[in-house]
Amino acid sequence: MLRNKVFSVINIVGLTTGLVCCLLLVLYIQHELSFDNFHPNKDRIVRVIMEYSFNGNKPVKGNWTSTKVLPAFERQFPEVESGVRMNTFWTSNVVKYGDKLFIESNFLFADSNFFNVFGYKLISGNPSQVLKLTNNVVITETSAKKYFGEDNPVGKTLLIGTRQMPFLVTGVAKDCPDNSQLKFDFIASFSSLGENQEQTYFNANYTTYLLLKDKNSIASLQKKIEPFMKKEMKNEKGTYINYYLEPLTQVHLYSPYDAMVPNTNIVYIYIISGVALLILLIACFTYINLSTVKSIGRAKEVGIRKVAGANKKQIFWQFIIESLVITLTSVIISIAITIFILPLFNSFTQKNLTVFNLLNPSIIASVLILLFTIAVLAGSYPAMIVAAFKPVKVLKGAFKNTAPGNWLRKSLIVFQFSISVFLIIAAIIIARQLSFIQNKKLGYDKEHVLVTHLTQTLVDKIDLVKSEFKSNPDIISVSKTAWEPVSIISGGHIRRADLPPSNNMNVSFSPVDEDYVKTCGLQLIAGNELSRQDILDGSKDSNNYNHIIINEAACKALGWKSPQEAINKKIFFGDGPGEIKGVVKDFHFASLHSLIEPLVLSSANWGNTLLIKTSGKNLPQTIDFIGKKYKAIEPNLPFDFHFMDEDFQKLYTSEMRTGKVFNLFTFIAVLLACLGLFGLAAYDIRQRTKEIGVRKVLGASVSQITILLSGGFLKLVLAGIVIASPIAWWLSNKWLLNFAYRINISWWMFLLAGLLALLIALITISYQSIKASIANPVKSLRTE
Amino acid sequence: MIEIKHITKWVTSGGNRVFLLRDINLAVKEGEFISIMGPSGSGKSTLLNVIGMLDEFNEGEYNFRNQPVHHLKEKHRSQFYKSHIGFVFQAYHLIDELTVYENIETPLLYQNIKSSERQSIVADILDRFNIVGKKDLFPTQLSGGQQQLVGVARAIVAKPKLILADEPTGNLNSKQGEEIMELFKQLNKEDGVTIIQATHSERNASYGSKIINLLDGRIEK
Repeated sequence: MLRNKVFSVINIVGLTTGLVCCLLLVLYIQHELSFDNFHPNKDRIVRVIMEYSFNGNKPVKGNWTSTKVLPAFERQFPEVESGVRMNTFWTSNVVKYGDKLFIESNFLFADSNFFNVFGYKLISGNPSQVLKLTNNVVITETSAKKYFGEDNPVGKTLLIGTRQMPFLVTGVAKDCPDNSQLKFDFIASFSSLGENQEQTYFNANYTTYLLLKDKNSIASLQKKIEPFMKKEMKNEKGTYINYYLEPLTQVHLYSPYDAMVPNTNIVYIYIISGVALLILLIACFTYINLSTVKSIGRAKEVGIRKVAGANKKQIFWQFIIESLVITLTSVIISIAITIFILPLFNSFTQKNLTVFNLLNPSIIASVLILLFTIAVLAGSYPAMIVAAFKPVKVLKGAFKNTAPGNWLRKSLIVFQFSISVFLIIAAIIIARQLSFIQNKKLGYDKEHVLVTHLTQTLVDKIDLVKSEFKSNPDIISVSKTAWEPVSIISGGHIRRADLPPSNNMNVSFSPVDEDYVKTCGLQLIAGNELSRQDILDGSKDSNNYNHIIINEAACKALGWKSPQEAINKKIFFGDGPGEIKGVVKDFHFASLHSLIEPLVLSSANWGNTLLIKTSGKNLPQTIDFIGKKYKAIEPNLPFDFHFMDEDFQKLYTSEMRTGKVFNLFTFIAVLLACLGLFGLAAYDIRQRTKEIGVRKVLGASVSQITILLSGGFLKLVLAGIVIASPIAWWLSNKWLLNFAYRINISWWMFLLAGLLALLIALITISYQSIKASIANPVKSLRTE
Repeated sequence: MIEIKHITKWVTSGGNRVFLLRDINLAVKEGEFISIMGPSGSGKSTLLNVIGMLDEFNEGEYNFRNQPVHHLKEKHRSQFYKSHIGFVFQAYHLIDELTVYENIETPLLYQNIKSSERQSIVADILDRFNIVGKKDLFPTQLSGGQQQLVGVARAIVAKPKLILADEPTGNLNSKQGEEIMELFKQLNKEDGVTIIQATHSERNASYGSKIINLLDGRIEK
C-alpha cells in the first residue's frame, strides 16, 4: 500500500513539475510572440530600414532613417496613409517640475500622428491633437504620479532638457505595454526638435514607421522605392540610398536590427519551445511509465475485482478515470504553483509576465487538451493490459511482464535519456559559448570604466571637466567620445590620397580625443597616439586636417601590407585631407555575431559620451567624487552613470536570457527523467526479486547483484547518449553559426554530458539495486 | 559434517514469540541421505534454510565441517555455502530470462571459474543428465520434470558436498518425481554427496537412509 502511495506521489510530482515548466515557458513564449500585437493597425504599419553607400562601396544597412523619408513618401506614394518619425536612439532627457528633477531614459519625440498610427491608449487628451503643437508633451500614468502625484497633469508645464524649455502637458497615456518594441514615459511633439526637422535624406538619426492604406501593398510599395530614390539622388554623385520596409510585427523576432527593446532572435523562441516540448514529453513518458508499472503491481486487485464480476470494460474505465483524476489534480496544482512562482520566474528572466496571460483562451484550450491526452494515453495502455489479465493466473501470482510492455517501457527510458543528454550537451555548449563571449579578449578593457552623458554645458567646458576628474588618483584617464568601444555605430568613408575618389570605402568611425586609446585600453601596434594638437587640428570647422588612427582591418582594406607601412600615409577621410598617425590592434566594436570591420578613430566636433577609467580601488568614493565635481559644473542635472561592462552585457541579452532559461529547464528535465528511471528501476527490481533471490542462493555477492541490476539500466542510458549526441552536435553547430566568433565543439563536451547522465542514472538506480541485493533471499523464494 | 545443537528460532508477531524451531539437535555424517518429514508449517523449510545458512537462528550452535557457522561473518558464510552447498527448490526457481545452459552455468559465475573451464563443466553435466539437446531452450519451454532436472543439474554443477532439497518433487507428477528421486539416490551413492531433503511423501522419504519427523518445530522421537 505504502509503495503505491510513493508511486502516486512520484507520479503527481513528476507530472506537476513538467506542467509548471511548460506553463512558465508557454507564458514566456507567448509574451515574446505577442510583441506589438496590440496595435489595431499592426498589419499596416512598417518600419523603414535604410541602406546607403558612397561611391559604389559595400552598402551599410540599419534601423535609422533621416527626417525626409516620411514627408517624401507621403507625397510620392499613394499607398502611404501616414507615418511617425521619432528619436529612438537618444532618449535620455532631463525633466523638471517644481523641485522634482530626474533624468528620464525613455523620452521620445514623435510626429503628431503617433496615437493614430499606434494603438497606445490615451486616458485624457485627443489622439489627433495632443502632439499637434510645438512643445507639447504626453506623459504616462506612472510619470504623471511621479511628478504630479494625484493632481491632474493636463495643462501643467514641465521643464525639459538642460536648457529647461517649457513643455505643456496635453495628455496622459496608459503605460506602455511590456510587449511593445517602443518604450516611452514621455512623448513630445516632433516639431519641438526645431532645427532637427529640416528635410534631408542624410543625418539618419531617427526611426520612421509608416502606416499603409492596405496591408497587402508592402511588396508593391517596396518595388517603387528604389527607382524613386535613384531619381532623388540624381544630383548626389556616387551616393546610393535605398529603403526597406519591415512589417511591424516582424521586427521583434525576425529583424537583425534592434528596436528600442532589444529584439529576440526567433531561433531562441524555437529553442525554448523545443525545451518546453521536451520537458512535457519527459513528464508524460514518466507518467505513462509509472502508471503502467503501478497498474501491474495492482494485478491482484484487478484479479479480485474480476472474480467479483467486473468485466473488461468496467476495469478499463476504472483505470481511465483514475488517470483523469490524477492528471486533473496535477493540472490544478501546477496552475497554483505557476501563479505562486511567477514573480520568481520574472526576476529570473527579467520579464513582467502576469497570471492573466494564462487566462488566454488558447492556453486554457491547450491545457485541457493536454489534460485529456495525457490522461487517456497514460491510462489506456495500463488499462488495456490490466483489463486483459486472466484472473486465475493473476491470483496465483503467475502474472508475468509481457515482452512488448517491457519493450515499450525501455524505449521510453531510452527516449527520455536521449532528451536529457541532448539538453545537457546543449547546455554545456551554450554555457561555453557564453563564457567565451564574456572572456574573449575583446581588444579593449571594459572593467571599471564609468560611462556618463555630457550635456552641452559640460561639452563646452570639457577641458575643465577632464582636469577636475583627473585630479583624483583613482581616476586613470578620461576621454570624450561618441561611442563606447563596446558598440561603434557611426561611419564615414576613406581613401588613400594616391587613389582617385572612386576608391572611397566605407568604414566605421568614432570621434575621439587624445585620451581614448588609453582610456579604453586599446593596443597601439604602430605609430603614435593622437596628440592634443592633432585633436584641435581635426575639429576645426574649416581647413581641418585629420590625424587618424585606424585598426588592422582598415589597414588591410586600404591595401598596406603592415601596420608600419601605413604610418604617415596621406589619406582623404570624409573628403578632408589627413594622414595616418597610428594603427591599433583589432578590437570588437560590435557584438561577436559579426566580424571586425575597418574602423577609423579621429577627432570631430560631436559626441557627448564621457568615459572615465578608474583603478577599481575605492570605487564608491571615486563615484561620489565624480558626482560632486559633475554637479559643480552642471548644477541642472543629477549625475547619472553606468559601467561599460553593463553595455557589453546588453549586446547579448537574448543569449544570456536564453542560456539561463535553458540551464534551469535542462536541470528540471534531467530530474524528471531520473524520476522516471527511479520508478522503472523500482518496478523492474520488484519484478526480479525472485531472480535476485536465486542468484544470491547460488552465491552471488551484493556487489555482483548491484552491478547486474544497474547494468541493464545503464545500457539504456548509454543508448540514449548514442542517440542524442549526433542530434545535439548538429543543432548546436547550427546555433554557433550565428556567431562570427565561436567555440569549437569538441569531444569532451559529449563525454562530460554522457558521464554526467550515467552518474545521475547510477545514483538514481543504485539505492534500489543495493537495497534489493542485500535483502534476504529466503523471503523472495518462499513458495507460498 | 553437520552438528546442530539446541537450535531455536522464533519470530515476533503481535508481541508474541512464535516458535519456528525449538531445541533442534541433529548430526549429519558425510554421505548420509536424510529425509525430513512433517506436515505444512512444521518447520521443514526453516530448518533447511538454517542448514543452508540462508536464515539465521536465535539460539544454539551450528557447526558445519567443524566451522562454527554462528560465529561466521555474512561474507564468509556466503563464501562457505556457495562452495559447499547446492539447493533444489520445489518451484525450481530457474531464471526465466536465461537458457538451460546459462542457468546451469550461473553458480560457476559466482565462483571465479574461468570461461573455458565452465564450458567443460557445464557440458559434462548436460551430458550426464541427457539434456544436451535442450541447452538453448528457456525454462518456460520445458516440462516440470525437465525443469527440476535442470534445477538439480544447477545444484550439483559446482560439486557441492551437500545438497538441500526442499520438496523437490512437490510440483511434479509421480513419474517425474520418481525420476528425480532416483537421481538423488544415484548422486548419493556414486558421488558420495550428502543429501537432506524435506518432503511430505513417505514414499520419497524412504529413499533416504534416515528419516527425521518434525512437528511444530520439534523433532519427534
